[in-house]
Amino acid sequence: MLQEQELKTFVEGTTNYFEVAAQQPASIGSPYLTEGSPSVHDYTGVINISGKREGFVYFTAPKAMLTVLLMKMQENDFSHETMRDLVGEVANTISGNARRDFGRDFVISVPSVLAGERPEIPQKPGARSFVIPINWRSHSAKLIVSLT
Amino acid sequence: MNVAGADRNRQLVTVGIGAMLTLVMGAVLILGFRLATQMRASVTGLQTASMLQTYPDAISQQLNSLRDRLEARAYAGQALADLKVTVKRFDEELEQLGSGGYLQSAELDQALLLWHQYSPVVQPVVNFTGQAYVDSDDAGSAFSKEGRVHYADVKRAQLFATENARRLQQQLATVATTLQQSSSDGAARLRTLLLSGVLAALVLAGAAAYFQVTRARHERAAKEAQEQTRDILKTVREGFFLLDADYNIGTVWSEALTRMFSRQDFAGLGFEDLLKDLVPPNTLSTAMKYIKLLWGERAHENLMKSINPLGQLEITMDNGHGGKETRYLQFDFHRVMGPKGIKHVLCAVGDITSSVLLAKELQESQESANAQLDMMLGMMHVDPLQLNSFLDTTETGLQLINAILKEPARADSEFRKKLNGLFRELHSIKGEASALNLMSIAHRVHSLEDMVSDLKKKAELSGNDFLPMVLKLDDLMAHLRGVREMASRLTALKDTAPAAAAVTAAATVAPARAAKQAAANEQRAQLGKSGDDLSPTLHSMAERLAHDHHKRFRLTINGFADVPSSYVATVKDCVIQMLRNSAVHGIEARETRKAHTKDDVGVVRVDFRKSGDGYELVFEDDGAGISPDALKAAAVRKQIITQEEAAGMDTRAAMALIFRPGFSTQEEVSMDAGRGVGMDVVARSVYALGGKIGVSTNPGKFTRFKIVLPAAEAASSTAVA
Repeated sequence: MLQEQELKTFVEGTTNYFEVAAQQPASIGSPYLTEGSPSVHDYTGVINISGKREGFVYFTAPKAMLTVLLMKMQENDFSHETMRDLVGEVANTISGNARRDFGRDFVISVPSVLAGERPEIPQKPGARSFVIPINWRSHSAKLIVSLT
Repeated sequence: MNVAGADRNRQLVTVGIGAMLTLVMGAVLILGFRLATQMRASVTGLQTASMLQTYPDAISQQLNSLRDRLEARAYAGQALADLKVTVKRFDEELEQLGSGGYLQSAELDQALLLWHQYSPVVQPVVNFTGQAYVDSDDAGSAFSKEGRVHYADVKRAQLFATENARRLQQQLATVATTLQQSSSDGAARLRTLLLSGVLAALVLAGAAAYFQVTRARHERAAKEAQEQTRDILKTVREGFFLLDADYNIGTVWSEALTRMFSRQDFAGLGFEDLLKDLVPPNTLSTAMKYIKLLWGERAHENLMKSINPLGQLEITMDNGHGGKETRYLQFDFHRVMGPKGIKHVLCAVGDITSSVLLAKELQESQESANAQLDMMLGMMHVDPLQLNSFLDTTETGLQLINAILKEPARADSEFRKKLNGLFRELHSIKGEASALNLMSIAHRVHSLEDMVSDLKKKAELSGNDFLPMVLKLDDLMAHLRGVREMASRLTALKDTAPAAAAVTAAATVAPARAAKQAAANEQRAQLGKSGDDLSPTLHSMAERLAHDHHKRFRLTINGFADVPSSYVATVKDCVIQMLRNSAVHGIEARETRKAHTKDDVGVVRVDFRKSGDGYELVFEDDGAGISPDALKAAAVRKQIITQEEAAGMDTRAAMALIFRPGFSTQEEVSMDAGRGVGMDVVARSVYALGGKIGVSTNPGKFTRFKIVLPAAEAASSTAVA
């Protein structure tokens, strides 16, 4: 069973990114559970985890939120590639945080990025996911933790 | 004997041999010097004595010569001068021999005595300075007056010499012989001494060489032992070190410590410094007190082991990736005794992280297996239809809870709004689980209720506060899935047994009987959907409540067969809640009942009947009743009403307090009471069906709840409306 501290590690990894990169902290909304393939926004960073836990961690954000985030970061390039890179960077921060806290117990992959209208989200069959809304300014992204 | 002691002894032996060698050589030198000095004196004395032997004859001859010359009136000056020299030398050398201390002998004393007689005789001769002759023309040379005296002295001396010269010479010869003997003896002693000295030196040198060889062998062995110790300390998986009286680590330690503590500066490091960044202050303080106790001479080692606070120490340290990780270390202490008491404390540290985690997993697995077994045993007593109905209802309830959580929230008020809804759903699920005696589910829901209660008390709510709850919800959902799987297996098992029996009986049982059995099963299935099916569940719950709260009461249920299917859930929820209240608050303890001359077994009656167009549910217990004052006091205590409001309340208003959300007279929350949501939920569900609820009581005698429900069709239309 996933532990509270493990969930917090992923959450902190995400909120810290906003605090450091955009100088504006993100807060988390009301967490809930979802079954089956989770619904995602425009851009999704995926981390594959194996070892003590098996599964995926996703950070998914809408384009509007990423655009504002890039603006806050003094970035002028709002291309598709930049959006992908940004989501990848958030996922990378989350995986770095996880590596720091979990050490050798977890094997954490290099993040991959999915984009498009209906991306094929990797999912373990029958797994329930924790969905943690990440609220930043008026926008909302999602951190999805699907580990068994 | 230990290595250090043996080394010290070897050093002492080496020093002893060196000292003895020095002493022997010193003694040989001193004695040899003394003997050589004596020998030299003896040789000198011998030379003198040998020389002196010739003098008596020479003096005698010189006296003869002097006498002859005087008689011939010849020149005697030279002869006298020679005699003077000889006498003077003899006198001096004899005196020197006598006073030189070379020899103490009677012969020398006699020679000295004889010379002391001889000397006065010869001295007038040698002291003569006048003219011995006078010359005249007529008589030629003749003795002068003093010459005659001189001549007489010479003759007397010559006569004495003739008589004593030989004796004096013999005495001096004896002295010389004695001195020669002494000299030979001295030489022999010196030879013996030198030989002894050389032998002693050789023996001591041999001993020293032997000890050097032994020492080299021991040093080689010690070096090998050191290498072996180093190899052991390098390889062993436990951390070993010694603590001194100041609680500092010694200079030798096993390399495993480096891995365990991620540091290398152990030599001289204080035990407190080793742990201070790894453990909480109170643990550190306890550990240091224990270490101090270990140094107490009177502390019993086995007793000390039993109170070791570091038997399983949880430490947090760097995981090598910039983060922290938790490890479990086991410290074991042994006192190292020396001749003067405790010398060191040997500390053995083992990394027991794997075994602790394994034990935890094992315990969890055991608990899970036990829980599953309990649950399975509990489920065996529950009707499968009822169980499935419960699982469906619960699953729906949990989905509703998840839907409440899913509602977007950013502000405190939005988060807080969720709590009451969550509470009601959870309480309802718990009540039903408890009624079916599915305690593994009831306990999980209870712990979720605890979380909601804690959140209600928090000043400011955020999404972070809901993370533990969503984890618990996930656990509950997974557990529910397990229960469902188990229920399916049990159902399959139950279905298989009658089928097998039916095959065996097929040849003998008439087809008519089989048809009757099928009809009975059908009827049972139909009953499962009615309120009659609730009775076993409620009786089972009553038994559990009586057991858990140490009460005795009898539950009587009437008319539940008439409960319309659309009312079953509400009736069940209401009766469950009221039954809990009766068990916790209503029915008194056996002693109290006896003191009030009541039957020691309480009575709880539940009657469901048609009443006019609708239905009536009456729930009554013969317990302590409800005191309006007690209700008001509890409401004030829980800050539901103020003191002033309480004072202005009549009995009716006070009794209505039990339907207020959050009201409970119980201070401590338990599985069955204390949250103050029970009667609130009952009232809400009754009102939702368009019904009414009332309460009447007589303190010390009874409490009666009367629920009036409309006709089932009317209720459906009310619900839709």
